[in-house]
Amino acid sequence: METLTIEKKKLYNPIISDIKRVEQLTSLEKRFEIALPDNQILGHMPGQFVEVSIFGFGEAPISICSSPTKAPTFELTVRNVGRVTNKMHALSKGNRIGIRGPFGKGFDVALFQGRDVLFVAGGIGLAPLKSFIDYTLAKRKDYRRIIILYGSKHPSEILFKKDIELWQGIKDVEFHITVDRPDEKWKGNVGVITTLIPPLKLDVENTTAAVVGPPVMYKFVIMALKSKRIPDENLYLSLERRMKCGVGKCGHCQINESYVCQDGPVYSYARIKELQEAI
Amino acid sequence: MPSEVNLNFVNMKRYFFDHSTTEKFINFLMTKGKLIAPHRKGEHSFAYEYVSDIAHIVFDYPRTIQPLKKFFLPPQETLLTFNIESNTFEEEKIVSEKYIFFAIHSYEMQAIQRLDYSFKRGNPEANYLTRRENVLFIGISFTPDEWHFSKSVGIEIEKTDGFCLFFEPVENGYLVFEVNQDGRELLSQFGSGFLVDAPLDLEIIEKNFREKIKYHFNRIPQIFEYVYDSKVWQEVAQRCVGCGTCNLLCPTCYCFDVRDEMELNMEEGKRQRFWDGCMLNTFAEVAGGENFRDSLDSRTRHRLYRKFKYSTKFSGELYCVGCGRCSCYCPADISIIEIVNNLINDYDQGQSKQTM
Repeated sequence: METLTIEKKKLYNPIISDIKRVEQLTSLEKRFEIALPDNQILGHMPGQFVEVSIFGFGEAPISICSSPTKAPTFELTVRNVGRVTNKMHALSKGNRIGIRGPFGKGFDVALFQGRDVLFVAGGIGLAPLKSFIDYTLAKRKDYRRIIILYGSKHPSEILFKKDIELWQGIKDVEFHITVDRPDEKWKGNVGVITTLIPPLKLDVENTTAAVVGPPVMYKFVIMALKSKRIPDENLYLSLERRMKCGVGKCGHCQINESYVCQDGPVYSYARIKELQEAI
Repeated sequence: MPSEVNLNFVNMKRYFFDHSTTEKFINFLMTKGKLIAPHRKGEHSFAYEYVSDIAHIVFDYPRTIQPLKKFFLPPQETLLTFNIESNTFEEEKIVSEKYIFFAIHSYEMQAIQRLDYSFKRGNPEANYLTRRENVLFIGISFTPDEWHFSKSVGIEIEKTDGFCLFFEPVENGYLVFEVNQDGRELLSQFGSGFLVDAPLDLEIIEKNFREKIKYHFNRIPQIFEYVYDSKVWQEVAQRCVGCGTCNLLCPTCYCFDVRDEMELNMEEGKRQRFWDGCMLNTFAEVAGGENFRDSLDSRTRHRLYRKFKYSTKFSGELYCVGCGRCSCYCPADISIIEIVNNLINDYDQGQSKQTM
């Protein structure tokens, strides 16, 4: 008999976990605090994702929006756009969901340490970035400047308002926000996220950028950051795909030869340039 | 003279089985495990099925419709059963059947080896690997038809890797080659009484592949470095209907979808996985509706790149084994050989323009 002397893994069993808290963030998004059984720690890094499992509805890849420093619980921000997320929005504190993961490669925090960190978030892209923002704030002395740019379509769609207030109150955090379409009460910047980039004074040699947003945003943000002369290898993006299995098998998340659930979702722009389908 | 392709036979022990010995041997195999072999389905089609009657085994067949992967990666498979009231689940017990696959062609065996690689790589998947554990493969030679081109992708008819024994038809019976230890054990258990040393002068019929890729297979991944924006993708897309048959029948395609299905009591259900295909239009769609491969040309390109470049990059092997299924069963008569040869022509023209 052919021996397959390799440790086989059971890859598809979720861990049934508790919803500890649910917070309505906008009309479309809710934040869930999740606890694994027995105070287990998820052990994620900023930028990684989990597969949320709801029996009868299926699984959906959701990025983790809390910093690993917040363990043992973690948080997911879920937009109500599909079968699983729709059902998840109907759940409340005390309900249980399945979790697999964490999966993928998040932000390599070592590459940001000792440097100025520029966060650029568009829309729900703030959720995965918040994991990293909170991580840098928890380890503030490991990083130099912290600059956060956040663009939202409309004031009503702004996520994490309480966290944003907190960031705005921190002296050594530079936070800039803009909306595409203001309402009558909005007094801040108006315009797409890229309008926040030209006024920035950056120490380009010592800046690394982490960018997360919808596909349409990337091209323009990259152009704006390139005109600031940020090198490709100091520019990190997180890509959205349909990570169905999370373990590099099902093929749904593949971008050219790269399985996003294994090599991503966070890639350097230097790598993304080699992947024609990426953005 | 044996052709160069048969050189790997030279050092193998070989035996002559006449037809009645072959029949006895198959009866013996049926006592050793669940025997699977090609059967006729309808007038011109074939399928791998359990052998209940030796008379139904087809030794000389061009190809089965469905590839052998269905035994290790079933078209539909339960991953777990759950109860939504109690929010509990049980994982499906995966059975490691003792299968013996008889009369298997070399490209099929090579396809299984590529799947082995893919399911071991990174996260070795218990579902596939457990089913794959207790299995023997016995190979057989075949006569290529108009769709076969496995030689063009580096797989000879007599490639024996992965088989324990290999059957080569000769006058009045078969030469049986002892490929590895498993084969040796089978033969010794079968009983030496039936075994006769074959004459040394091998006269194996030279079998010609009719369909060929223009360039040596070593060059194909290199060509795919240059044809990403070729007009060929558009040309294929104009004929393709996007049915995904090529994915489902490809012996090295293993992409899948996972869906939950409820029982009628609406309390219990199953999480199941199904074969899926990158040619289907929703394959790369994400929640919210964005589709990252929303055109047939981009999906065709992805399928071909997976076969000739992407998977090769990590495994070192082409993931097309030249079985011809995708072309033979394509409702739009799209031939993978034609696509690759057109890409090569495109590449050649590009190269000659550069040197002009």
